[in-house]
Amino acid sequence: MKYVLSISIGAVTFLLICIAWLQSGGLARERMRSSRTPDEATRLLLTQVQARNWDKALSSLANTNDVDKASFVHDLGGSNGSLLTYATLEKFDVWPLHANEQQATVRAKLHYSTAVGPLDDVRDFQVQRAGDTWKVSWPAGKLEKPAPQVIPVNYLRWDVINRGAEDDWGVQNVDSPQVRIVSMNALQRPDRVVILGEIVNEDTIPAYINVGATLLRADGNAMAQENSFDKISHILLPKQVSPYRIDFPGVQLKDIKSVRMDAKSMLVPASADPVIAVNRQRLETDPLGKKVLRGELLNQSGQIVNIPHVLASYYDGSGKVIWVSDGYVDQELQPQIPVSFAVDLPDDIAPKVQNYHVTVNHFSSSHTS
Amino acid sequence: MRALVITVMVATMCCPLLASDLKAPATVVAGTDFVIASAESQGGTFYLIGPSLVSKREVQNGSEISVPGDEIKSAGVYTALLCSGAGCVSTDFYVKPSSPARLSLLAHPSRVRVAEPNAISAVALVFDKFRNLVVEPAQVEFQAVAGEAQPISQSRTAANGIAWIRLTSGKKEGPIKVGAIIGPAKELRVVRQVASDACNLRIKPEWAAGKFYVSTDPVRDCSGNAVPDGTVVSFTKTDRSGKTTVDAPVKRGIARVQMPVDGNARIFVASGVVTGNELNVTGKQ
Amino acid sequence: MGKPAPANLKPLRRIKRLLSFVWEDSKTVETNLLRRPIPLTAIALLAIVVHAPFLFMELPLTTSYDANLHVFFASHYAHHWFNPWNEKWFAGFSQTTYPPLGHQWIAVFSLLVGLRMAYMLVQLAAIVLLAIGVYRFARLWVDERAASYAAAFSVFLGMVSFLVYSAGQLSTTLSAPIYLLALPYFYHWSRSADGRALLKGVVLVLAAASVHHVTLIFGSFLFALPVIWLACMDRKPETSVLSVLFRAAIFAVLAGIGVGAVLFPYWVEIIRHPIEQIPIPHASRSNLLLNMNYLINYFIVPYGALILAMPVVIWLGAGSRRLRPLMLGFWVALLLGLGGTTPVPKWLFGRAFEILTFERFTLSAALLALPIVGLIAASLIDRFGGKAAGALALASVLSMALAMGWLTWSPFHTLSGLNVNSVVEFLNRGGHDHYRYLTLGFGNALPKVSTYAHANSVDGEYNSARLLPEMTHYGSAQLTSSKFFGTAGMESLRAMLKHANNYGLKYIFVHDPYYEPMIAFAGWRQIESYDSGSITVWSKEDVPPARPIQSDAMPTPLEGLLWGTLPMGSSILAIVLAILLPDRHKARGRFVPFPVRTTEPEFAREVR
Repeated sequence: MKYVLSISIGAVTFLLICIAWLQSGGLARERMRSSRTPDEATRLLLTQVQARNWDKALSSLANTNDVDKASFVHDLGGSNGSLLTYATLEKFDVWPLHANEQQATVRAKLHYSTAVGPLDDVRDFQVQRAGDTWKVSWPAGKLEKPAPQVIPVNYLRWDVINRGAEDDWGVQNVDSPQVRIVSMNALQRPDRVVILGEIVNEDTIPAYINVGATLLRADGNAMAQENSFDKISHILLPKQVSPYRIDFPGVQLKDIKSVRMDAKSMLVPASADPVIAVNRQRLETDPLGKKVLRGELLNQSGQIVNIPHVLASYYDGSGKVIWVSDGYVDQELQPQIPVSFAVDLPDDIAPKVQNYHVTVNHFSSSHTS
Repeated sequence: MRALVITVMVATMCCPLLASDLKAPATVVAGTDFVIASAESQGGTFYLIGPSLVSKREVQNGSEISVPGDEIKSAGVYTALLCSGAGCVSTDFYVKPSSPARLSLLAHPSRVRVAEPNAISAVALVFDKFRNLVVEPAQVEFQAVAGEAQPISQSRTAANGIAWIRLTSGKKEGPIKVGAIIGPAKELRVVRQVASDACNLRIKPEWAAGKFYVSTDPVRDCSGNAVPDGTVVSFTKTDRSGKTTVDAPVKRGIARVQMPVDGNARIFVASGVVTGNELNVTGKQ
Repeated sequence: MGKPAPANLKPLRRIKRLLSFVWEDSKTVETNLLRRPIPLTAIALLAIVVHAPFLFMELPLTTSYDANLHVFFASHYAHHWFNPWNEKWFAGFSQTTYPPLGHQWIAVFSLLVGLRMAYMLVQLAAIVLLAIGVYRFARLWVDERAASYAAAFSVFLGMVSFLVYSAGQLSTTLSAPIYLLALPYFYHWSRSADGRALLKGVVLVLAAASVHHVTLIFGSFLFALPVIWLACMDRKPETSVLSVLFRAAIFAVLAGIGVGAVLFPYWVEIIRHPIEQIPIPHASRSNLLLNMNYLINYFIVPYGALILAMPVVIWLGAGSRRLRPLMLGFWVALLLGLGGTTPVPKWLFGRAFEILTFERFTLSAALLALPIVGLIAASLIDRFGGKAAGALALASVLSMALAMGWLTWSPFHTLSGLNVNSVVEFLNRGGHDHYRYLTLGFGNALPKVSTYAHANSVDGEYNSARLLPEMTHYGSAQLTSSKFFGTAGMESLRAMLKHANNYGLKYIFVHDPYYEPMIAFAGWRQIESYDSGSITVWSKEDVPPARPIQSDAMPTPLEGLLWGTLPMGSSILAIVLAILLPDRHKARGRFVPFPVRTTEPEFAREVR
């Protein structure tokens, strides 16, 4: 009995551990460490990127000697406080596009968790056979850096001195900036109602703004209340226009009688820098067949913009705002170095678009907007 | 607090019976000494209950109780109460504000566009030296001074302690001082007159060191005032490479941006809801 | 006694032979110090000597995950004994979602020595009670000497140090010993229908449940089933197995009714708001073999030198009919404690697997193994004398040293030691407490802020009490640690920030620049910074003052009254009964040897 029971317990424990090891992906992990196919080679590289093991990732490339490490790390892990430095590669899907005996192209969809929310990226990898194994061939290139130069900065800044707590109530305070919602449109989307439009700062001082909307039922009661959150530029310089978008998930337009808009403005310190140009804007179809608005951002100031945020408003033939989309750019904006961006546009809206306007919001770790 | 409650209770119970035995002037001016007379020659405890004060003291001679001005600084209805071994006697009297000595001036808004009719409002509240609102009619003189210009003044009669005036903003930007005067009291506020929307917004092309620049003429409103620096001017260029937009702030009166040009390009300019002229340019190779 | 074993016997057989000598000669007065039981008083003193210095240094408050959470709960009872509705977290939550007894005792002691030291006193009491509980429980299975060794080992158990100094699980470490103290009464009642045992046992079970119901629920199976099995084996000749089982059932029913009554507000709350949140990942559920740090954290550190004894525990347990239930209990607890390393927990618990954390089963496994380990220790000392004693002492100390060292070596560091005074000062001045606040990157320092700040937060550390949809729909835990939950965490944070105006969430304290981009894009602006910029304060200008958020989870005044009286009453009743109804064997001052009913070698005598 003693022998039987002891040995049985040992054997059952071992068996259970083996089952769990298989269930929890132990085998799959082993497979990750091999690169016998183009897919596996890409997975191996991405696994090392996921672990931020740059040296191993670099050494697993077919053209290790041709690749500049700084450029490689910048491309996959970010630098200078860009969004990728705040990101973790959570998961990835890999599938082959085409392959022959010596070369293959593998497409990977990378899903990052970032400081501003999820970020998806689609990349095509060139993979080469190297003996019995396959290796990813990384495009050789040097990290572009701004040339040494002096950029004169003469930026404007507004500071605010408010009434002190000990001052008499009659002592004049500074009024809040005048802002105005210049357009508003309510749309029914498959899973939500979207309120969008544009708001302008009509004042001569910068304004902190936030736009909220309350949906009212037929009986006049409030149905839902949301605000524009990050789908707006919260700081508007004098006469600056920002698009806004407010989403109401799970709401049907037919249930709404009216919408109460609430534009709040506050007086806050602000600065007029940096100036970011949006060049080469055009509507295109991306490799996955989705409509996107592409362009390039050019930082015309002297300081690095860590995380640019692109807000695009789209207009129909009558000049009415019919959609607002946004996207965070995963690379930083170095002075005078263009960085490309792309923001999605729903397929059903794209044919109606006659015009669009792009504005850029930004986060810089030294100061914030 | 407990003393106040007890006092009020005592007063409430005693007053209906004994109100006539204590005599005070019907109205007294805030902050002035006065005397309350009584048929009671014996001393007792004297209570004075007012809007913001309750006092209690022992008096030796009940027939003539002097009340110092310090105890009646707040305007309103007071109750005087004298309690002795024989019971309590009380009377009510009204303390009215003294002469106007202070002003509170509310000027709105703090910024106003030039040439806006009735855009500035100034509201003056009249108080005496103890911060009691002076409800009796009084003349308040409003003044407005824009820059080095001569002051303009108008008089308004304060009703129930309040007087107000509406002013039209001037055509030139800059501060306007809005003041109110009554007796020795004078208050001053500053309202900033700012440029209105850009008017006749124009842009012009420039080539410098092989680069293409677009800059505005000095940006001014319809009254000729320069719009403040920092005002955003949006430049939009459309050419072969697509569309380019730059939101540039006005610096030293003009906004200027550098734009790459690829072939023929059309350039628009706007500031807020105001649009300007359109440029057609051809890129240099 | 002391008869040497033949040298040619195999070691285990030698151990068994030695063990049998120990019991057969139990009436003999032993003069060798190494072969006498360690007095219980000495073990209790040992526990105090070893742990009191660490506790009086307030180590758990700076090194553990949950100690500050317990202090936070206790601070609420210190101020609102009869109102379990706490508005400081989750825009309001009911503390009836967590059994209160440990927190209430801290609240009571805090009136004398302050919250922090009160926590330490209660924790020290738990450690001392654990040693006593292990001794009493082990006496059911093994003799007094082996039981005393088991109790002494419990003082140095890596798992205890892990739970006290790393996990900060006061409730588990306090509930487990009370439950262990109840088990001998359960045994005596089931075996011999001793009414006093029934009364004392049930009251102790109520007290244990009032500290931590989860320990009790799982302990019922892992500890009670082996004890019932033992009671059946040890039953009196005239008693049938059915009658033993019937009495056990009576005990279970009475305990069940009692627990239902004492924790009535808890059951009301759990029925009204069953836990339907999306599961939150926890490392104890993962396969430990796939991550070395998890393996060290959840297996090597908690068990320490006990790992070396495990094969022997199985071997001896399998070889003894009387120890077999204990060994099987240990084995099941071991498998459960391994979390996702075996599929057993998933099979047993189904969906609940994703809600439970599994380190608690490691404590159960260790406690179930200790009686047999005590037996092994006794036999080793008999065989090798002082050398064995020295080696065992060294192994014990090293086990604890490993657990204490792991506090420093571990890659999982808590932020409990973060200085939050400036945050508390900010919230308590200038009307800032009219708004709700959020901390980001504060980890386990959040309860410290909440304990001393007047303002309320939308976040909180006790996941089971969360009802706000912004937190329950995403599968992440505290907002303050959102980034560690990846997309789920950041989406949960985003949802909360979107509804900031609704909750009056104006101030955000950031201790990790990772969160700055999101809050900056959402409209917050930095207004102050502390500690050379390591903590920054952000404010959103258009947020209205916080208003109470209506909730159907708010306990009624009657529930508050029950919550404030019954759990504490159960513990006081247990103390009163311990004083007024002393155990009979103590009153008689001797043990009654239990007749041998088996042909197999005997490993323990019954205690009466």
